[in-house]
Amino acid sequence: MRSSRIRFPKFLLANAPVLSIIAVLAAVPPFITNMYYVQVLVFIGIYAILTLSLNLLNGYVGLLSIGHAAFYAIGAYASAKLSMELGLPWVLALAGAGAIAGFFGYLIAKPTLRLSGIYLTLVTLGFNMILFLVLQNWMSFTNGPLGIMDVPPPSIFGFVLSSRLQYYYLILALVLLTVLSMHRLMTCRFGRALTAIRENELAAEATGVDTTRYKIQAFVLAAFYAGIAGSFYAHFVKYISPDSFTINESFILLAMLAFGGQGNLIGPIVGAAALILIPEAFRPLQEYRMFVYGGVLIVMMLVRRQGLLGGRSYSLRWTRFDSAPARIYERGDKFLPEG
Amino acid sequence: MPLLQIAEVTKGFGGLKALRDVSMQVDEGEIVSLIGPNGAGKTTLFNCITGTMPPNRGSVRFRDEEIVGLPPHEVARRGISRTFQHIRVFGQMSVLENVMVGRDFKGRTGIFSALLRPPRVGNEEAENRESCMDVMALFGERLLPRLNQPTRELSYANRRRVEIARALVSGPKLILLDEPTAGMNPNETEQLMDLIRLIRDRGHSVLVIEHKMKVVMAVSDRIVVLDHGEKIAEGPPSAIAADPTVIDAYMGRRQRAQAD
Repeated sequence: MRSSRIRFPKFLLANAPVLSIIAVLAAVPPFITNMYYVQVLVFIGIYAILTLSLNLLNGYVGLLSIGHAAFYAIGAYASAKLSMELGLPWVLALAGAGAIAGFFGYLIAKPTLRLSGIYLTLVTLGFNMILFLVLQNWMSFTNGPLGIMDVPPPSIFGFVLSSRLQYYYLILALVLLTVLSMHRLMTCRFGRALTAIRENELAAEATGVDTTRYKIQAFVLAAFYAGIAGSFYAHFVKYISPDSFTINESFILLAMLAFGGQGNLIGPIVGAAALILIPEAFRPLQEYRMFVYGGVLIVMMLVRRQGLLGGRSYSLRWTRFDSAPARIYERGDKFLPEG
Repeated sequence: MPLLQIAEVTKGFGGLKALRDVSMQVDEGEIVSLIGPNGAGKTTLFNCITGTMPPNRGSVRFRDEEIVGLPPHEVARRGISRTFQHIRVFGQMSVLENVMVGRDFKGRTGIFSALLRPPRVGNEEAENRESCMDVMALFGERLLPRLNQPTRELSYANRRRVEIARALVSGPKLILLDEPTAGMNPNETEQLMDLIRLIRDRGHSVLVIEHKMKVVMAVSDRIVVLDHGEKIAEGPPSAIAADPTVIDAYMGRRQRAQAD
C-alpha cells in the first residue's frame, strides 16, 4: 500500500513536462475569443497527425514516401461515404476510414516493399497521382471535381459536435491518442526493429529481423493514421474535393517533417505547427507571405539540415524522478570520463 | 552428422566465378577458419550460407536441413548468425538496443500487444534485457558501462564487440565472424582470440574469416583455404602451415623459389 502511495506522485513528477503541456493545450483555447485562431489550432492538429504518420515511414523505417496525401484522401472519402451512404455513426466511420486506408496501404506495400529506395518512392508518387485522377473522374462515386458536400458533423454516442471549440477538443484527443499509441509502439520490440531497419537493413535482416514484414506493418500503420486524420478533416470542413489531396499536399507534409525533424515524436508536431503558423502570421504581407514560407525552409535546410528537432530522440520525462536507478553498472571503466 | 554441410557451392557474378564447387563442413563445437588471399571468395561463401546472396548451384545444409533459398532472417532464426567485414551496427541506437535487436525474433510482442501492454510484454522486455546483459558481460568492462551511449560514438573495436554481442545474444548454434580482428591492436586481438574460444565453450560453433595468421594458427581446430573461388587445402593448422599449395597461393611461386 505504502509503495503505491509513493509511486503515484513520482509518476506525476516524472511526466510533469508532458502533463503541463497537455494542461495548457486543454485550458487556454476557451479563452480565445477569435474563433479563427481556434480553427488554425484544429488544422495544426490534423497536420500533426498526418506528419506523425508520415514520420513513421520516413523517420523511423527510412522508407521515403512522397504520396502520403493519398491515404489522407482515402480516409476522408471513406469516412464521408460510410457516414452518408451507410449512415454509420462517426466513431464507426472513423475506425472504418482508418481501416480502409490501412487496407490500401497494405495493397501498395505488399507488392512494392521488395523494392527499395527510389522505386518505392516512385510507387507512392504514382499512387497519389492515380488516386487523384480517380477521385476527379469517378463521377458516380466521388462526384468528381465538385466534391462531396454536407458531410455530417461528428456525433459521439449521440452528442453532436457543433462549435469549433468542441472540434478542437476532439482533435486534441485524437492527437494525444496518436502520440500515446506511437510512443508505445516505438518503445518496444516493434520500434526497435523499425529503427534497426533504417540504420542498417542488411544487418537487421541478418540478425533475424523479418524486414519485409515490419515494413509492411509500418506502411499499414502510417496509412491508418493518415486515414484517421482524413476522417476528421472530412467531418470538420464538411466538404471534400480532390483538390485537397494533390501531390502538393504530400509535399507540404514532407516539408513539415523536414522542418520539424524526423525520427522522434516531437519534431513532426513542431514542424506541422510551425509551417501552419508561419503563413498565418505573415498574412499582412498578403501574396508575398509564401516567400517567407519558402525562405524559412531554405534557411532551415542550410543551417540545420536534420530539421529543428531531428537527428536524435528527445525525452519529455524528468528522468531524475524515475524509480529505476540511473546507473545500472557501478564498477565503471577507467577509460570513461568521470561523471 | 555435421552441423553445417556445404556441398559444391558455385557462385558467379557475370563472367567471374567467385566460388567454384566449394565443399566443406563445420562440426558441432568446432572452430573452423576460412583463409585465403583477397578476392578468394571467403565473404561470398558467408553470403551464400546466410542467404544474403544465394549460390547459383550447390547445397548448404544446416542441422540436416537445406537452407539455400531461405531469406537471411529465416537462416538467422534457424541458428546461424554473423558479423560483417565492414561493421554494420545501428549507429543511432544505444548499445543495449543494438544488442536487443539480436533477439528480435525470440520476441512475440506485436503491434496490438505493444499498444495494450499486457504484463507479458514487460516480462519479455526484462528477459531480453537480462540476457543481453549476460552476453555483454563476456566483454568485461568494454560494453557494460556504455549501455545507453549511441553506438556510433563507440570506438572501432567496441563497435565490433557490439556486433559480436548482437550475433551471440540469440544463442545461435553457429556463428560466422568476418574478420573480427580487423583494425584491432595486438592487445585487443589477443582478447578477441580468448573470446572466440569462450564462444566455443559456451556451445556455439564458430566459422571465422581471418587474415592474421597468428590468430588463425592459435584458435582454429581446422583451417579451410580458398583461392580464386576454389578450395585448395583443408586440415589442422600444422598441416596447413606446411602445405606448399597454400604457401604458393599466399606468397606466389617466385618468392618461394627464392626462399628455397
